[in-house]
Amino acid sequence: MELRTGRNKRQVALLLLPGVAMFAIFTIYPIVKLFFMSFLQWDFGSMLSHSFVGLENYKAVLGDETFRIAFANTIIYTLVTVPGQMILGLMAAVFINAIPRFRVSFRVIYYIPVITSWVIVSLVFRYVFNTEGMLNYVLTNVLHLTDSYIAWLDTRWGGLSVAMMLGIWKGVGWNMVVFLAALQSVPQELYESASIDGCGSIQKFFKITLPSIRPTILFALVMLTIGGFNVFTSVKMITGGKPMHQTETVLTWMYYKAFNTGEFGYAAALSFVVAVTLIFLAVLQFKVMKNNEAN
Amino acid sequence: MNVLIPKFEEENPGYKVNAVSHEWAELHDKIIVNAGSDSLPDVARLDIAWVPEFQKMDILVPLDKEMSDFSEVSGNLLDSAMSTGFVKGNYYAMALNTNTKILFYNEQALADAGIAVPQTMDELYAAAAKLSGTNAAGQQVWGLNEPALSGWNILPYIWSNGGAITNEDYTKASGYLNSAATVDTVKKFADMYKKGQFTGFNSGDIPMTDGFGTGRYMMLLEGPWKTAEMNGAYPDFKYGTGNMPAGSGGSHSVLGGEDIAMFKGGNSEGAWLFMKFMTSEFAQEEMAKCGQIPVNKTALESDTVKNAAFAPFLEAITTAVARPPVASWSEIDNLLSVAVTDIIVNGADAQTKLDALAAQVDTLLVG
Repeated sequence: MELRTGRNKRQVALLLLPGVAMFAIFTIYPIVKLFFMSFLQWDFGSMLSHSFVGLENYKAVLGDETFRIAFANTIIYTLVTVPGQMILGLMAAVFINAIPRFRVSFRVIYYIPVITSWVIVSLVFRYVFNTEGMLNYVLTNVLHLTDSYIAWLDTRWGGLSVAMMLGIWKGVGWNMVVFLAALQSVPQELYESASIDGCGSIQKFFKITLPSIRPTILFALVMLTIGGFNVFTSVKMITGGKPMHQTETVLTWMYYKAFNTGEFGYAAALSFVVAVTLIFLAVLQFKVMKNNEAN
Repeated sequence: MNVLIPKFEEENPGYKVNAVSHEWAELHDKIIVNAGSDSLPDVARLDIAWVPEFQKMDILVPLDKEMSDFSEVSGNLLDSAMSTGFVKGNYYAMALNTNTKILFYNEQALADAGIAVPQTMDELYAAAAKLSGTNAAGQQVWGLNEPALSGWNILPYIWSNGGAITNEDYTKASGYLNSAATVDTVKKFADMYKKGQFTGFNSGDIPMTDGFGTGRYMMLLEGPWKTAEMNGAYPDFKYGTGNMPAGSGGSHSVLGGEDIAMFKGGNSEGAWLFMKFMTSEFAQEEMAKCGQIPVNKTALESDTVKNAAFAPFLEAITTAVARPPVASWSEIDNLLSVAVTDIIVNGADAQTKLDALAAQVDTLLVG
């Protein structure tokens, strides 16, 4: 009840102020500014005076062939890496949860990729999948499976696949930790009574474990979808959008448009198209999960 | 910088230089951001390719209009280098230092194959064909390397073969970018790529310096900075340098380098004094000691320059050509590199692709 007194309210406000101010200055303000930028002509020819162009930037984004490729690549990246990470992460969590010893060691091992720098692991993946890289060396010179080196990174699907593999590999640890925490909160009694009723472990997993951790699954799904749309460093480092912008994702393309060709208005509009897509997806995911729950 | 700025401040009492250095890759974006927030410096060193962009942004001072002794100062500097500051009828920058690319080759490989250093384009192609194949360890080797397919990479070949990107006024690409000479050059490289004589621009390829230093890429065009890179990464590797090979259009490498420009709204008097100082014989010779090729004609005659590691580049600079100084160059360059990649890597028809590209570039040049 003390919180209701005026003095405490002031104290609370004072304590919140730094956080709120930072959030306002570095998150809210740029978003608002970006929103206005997306309706202005803002490029090399008009860096100092910006004229209002209405929806021209949005038209340019949606009519742009490369944007469509980048958008498709991003969707594919998300569709592959999100389930990939979640399934492997959940499997790792179930496995670690079931073993009596070395839990901490396995958790650390799975978590190391998560805390490793994106730049470093991207470079490592690049060296592995280079045409003269480790994988080709093993396939050709050690196992003699092919006669000539395969150019993994030089095509759209090759380059994207490597980026997706990296995304999954790096994300499994995070999912493992999140799901492990959820698994440990599932009441043991449920499993015990299921055993008495004669349930096998697979049945237990689908009938008890999965429904019990549904909120965690939704949380992971939303976070990872946002993460999938934000893929940038790995693609930038591994293919740089090559060949011919075929492996661009929405963010690498936005970066290219803003900082290589100076089309800030276009880039601002692009980021809003991405933001709207993400909001739509998040709402959809919540709806679907809610409906499932109701059934 | 530790020599030049104290010297300038000593010669010009009352002026103090507040020097700020930036990562080169960030400087371009930094200036754009500064322009937006009205916090530009008085003077900056700029990549020659940025001058038209910044001119279009209307942040540069037209020096020949504002400075009464402009022609006196510019007369001391190389014409080819000064041309990089000339945009739409006025000079917006002074040339500061220059560079270009010449031929680097694997000395041992050429000697083993009994090939003389290529002096013409035909000799270069023939050498590339002969040097390609597999080495003693059974690894594939390529005669010629380029780390990308942008204008900086392919223009020297196109120009030397008599091709072009635009007309001389930079107002039209049709008839130049899709001319027989340009198309033939790109076709030739597509053919060399197919035959495994030319590579280096794919994501999975060996990086340029490594490929050259380990004897996988036999020849390439590179600038004066390559010498230091090779000394650092492959100090024992033996390579030679030669002129940019000449084709039917002559020997035309691509001009690189930096200009110094003055931004609007600053201390123009002090800025101009500093620009004159930086292009003076003394400053230019000092910069030559740090590996920068001077543009001051008197400094170019000095012993410092004649004995410098970049001496082989001096001849190529006199015939090197600048990339089109137009504001839309980065956009044109992107389209060019996409089209050329499509032709070389995917085997798209060169004439059709370049016809379409020329029409597209025409509209960009007008805009």
